[in-house]
Amino acid sequence: MDNNSSETNHKNIDKKSEGSDSRRSFFKRFGVIGAAAAAGGAAIYSGFSYEETKPNHDMVKVLTADNKLVEVPRDQIRDMKVDVSRLTELGREGLPGKRFVMVIDLAKCRNARKCIQACQGAHHLRPYEYHINTLTMQESPNTAPYYMPKPCQHCDNPPCVAVCPVDATFKRQDGIVLIDNERCIGCRFCVAACPYSARMFHWEEPLFVEGDKGKAYNIELNVPQKKGTVSKCLFSADRLREGKLPYCVSSCPNGVYYFGDENQDAVTNGTTKETVRLSELLKVNGGYHLMPELGTKPRVYYLPPKNRLFEVTEEEEKKSENV
Amino acid sequence: MKRSYLFLIIILLSVGRLFAQEWVVPVENAAKRSPFAFKDSIRQAGAALYMTNCKSCHGDPGKNNTVKLVPPPPDPASAQMQKNSDGDMFYKLSMGRGPMPSFKNTLSATDIWRIISFIRSFNDKYVQELAPSLAPGSTLEQVKILISMIKETNQVQVKISSVKDKVRQPVANAEVKLFAKRYFGNLMIDEAHTSDSQGIALFKFPANLPGDSKGFVQLLAKPTDETAFGEAKADTTLAIGVETYRPPLNEQRALWNVVQKTPIWLLLTFIFSVLAVWGLIVYVLLQVRAIYKSGSDNKKE
Repeated sequence: MDNNSSETNHKNIDKKSEGSDSRRSFFKRFGVIGAAAAAGGAAIYSGFSYEETKPNHDMVKVLTADNKLVEVPRDQIRDMKVDVSRLTELGREGLPGKRFVMVIDLAKCRNARKCIQACQGAHHLRPYEYHINTLTMQESPNTAPYYMPKPCQHCDNPPCVAVCPVDATFKRQDGIVLIDNERCIGCRFCVAACPYSARMFHWEEPLFVEGDKGKAYNIELNVPQKKGTVSKCLFSADRLREGKLPYCVSSCPNGVYYFGDENQDAVTNGTTKETVRLSELLKVNGGYHLMPELGTKPRVYYLPPKNRLFEVTEEEEKKSENV
Repeated sequence: MKRSYLFLIIILLSVGRLFAQEWVVPVENAAKRSPFAFKDSIRQAGAALYMTNCKSCHGDPGKNNTVKLVPPPPDPASAQMQKNSDGDMFYKLSMGRGPMPSFKNTLSATDIWRIISFIRSFNDKYVQELAPSLAPGSTLEQVKILISMIKETNQVQVKISSVKDKVRQPVANAEVKLFAKRYFGNLMIDEAHTSDSQGIALFKFPANLPGDSKGFVQLLAKPTDETAFGEAKADTTLAIGVETYRPPLNEQRALWNVVQKTPIWLLLTFIFSVLAVWGLIVYVLLQVRAIYKSGSDNKKE
């Protein structure tokens, strides 16, 4: 009995020892595999992280803004992200110490429509969407007709800004009235308030909507345009920041536009690039505002259409009536 | 046979019509020649200027990709362009006509010659004629221009000197223009004046020209004759203008900037009165509720 029991005990111990052996060996094997796996993983990871951070001295050719071709190591290239909120902030502030002013000489306008095309190109508009338009004017049946380019007047007392319920349209310190399309809710109060019909509404998807996707919104260019919001002439605020004349002014072939800073009492002709005194130009030629009786105080002056060098043909007259 | 002759005549006539409006250059301008040789460095500078000023209409030279305009802008490599003398080209680039803009206010004479040197590089037969040897001493070296102001008479004095026989001497009989720098271009002051034997030219400065907040105006003096003086110019800032400070246009309170410009007392008064009215309404409602509650308590008893 005792023997048996001892035998059975022994057998049990044997069995147990066999079992513990297999567990131990299991752990041993597991340990070896695990260590190998860990080591392999670490090696792969370190290799991967080395690949990630290792200096990549492949040279890439880059064209700089001032038109120079330079080579830059590939690892030195960073994606540039435009800070839209900063752009918007700057766009709301405007240029300090400036009061921009435009003078349109009606005697020289021959309806070349280059200003309209340049403007539509810059602001991504369709041929029938206008920030500036040239109208054929005739005050009475017996007076001679003339052409009148009509941009936003950038009033010093803007009725459009007063009616905006969401502070989307605003006047800057340099006199320019702008629109923030990201804030605009499309109520069109401003369109109704503007006595010069300077504003347009994007009823349909804007032109180039696919190409402009993901582009940083520029408040001084209103690009990308946004469906369901209002848009209008911006005096090319983005160009003025660079010290350049607006798109329409510099594309006119007939010397119609003068643009400058009222604080410096000087305006520059967009065609001849000749700079003259603003006060003298207005005094000598009898400059005037559109609808001064409304008290809107426009920043656009007109010079009367005297000594015109052209005729308005009947055909063109009809065309403008149809528009 | 007769018909083909007739056809030829018609073609000739129609081609003739194209050239009917000849661009006539005054004789003295057509004879003008560049004061310097068209070297590679000059040509390269001209190419860069061409790309920024001319390419948008005239296209790439020799590729016939000019913009479709009426009349069409000629390709610079074409015979029509190359048959012009250097003087013709200089005149046409400077003055402009119709859709061709005038560059006399945007490019210096040297820059225009640089562009012409670039245009000529597309003509293998071209041999440059330099300006007839300038009179000895007419090209000036180390030209120095000084701008100063005479406060009492409100005048600006421009003094020109150059080095001759290793001695600095004043330059007489030189035509000089004075400009005030403005944001989009240079405003000419007075008219062009000629320097006297002391090399001094006096300009009347307008009494009402605005300067910055301290009256400073940036002045620029340039001799008219660029062939003799090269690109010599002076750039000085003087306190000669009218002190001008105009407040930002959105500084004053107005109907259109009420949100930004509200005075604090008005804002606080408004907020407190709104709160007071709402507080009163809430108080009345609470009282009504208390009355209702006490009424329903009485019913239960």
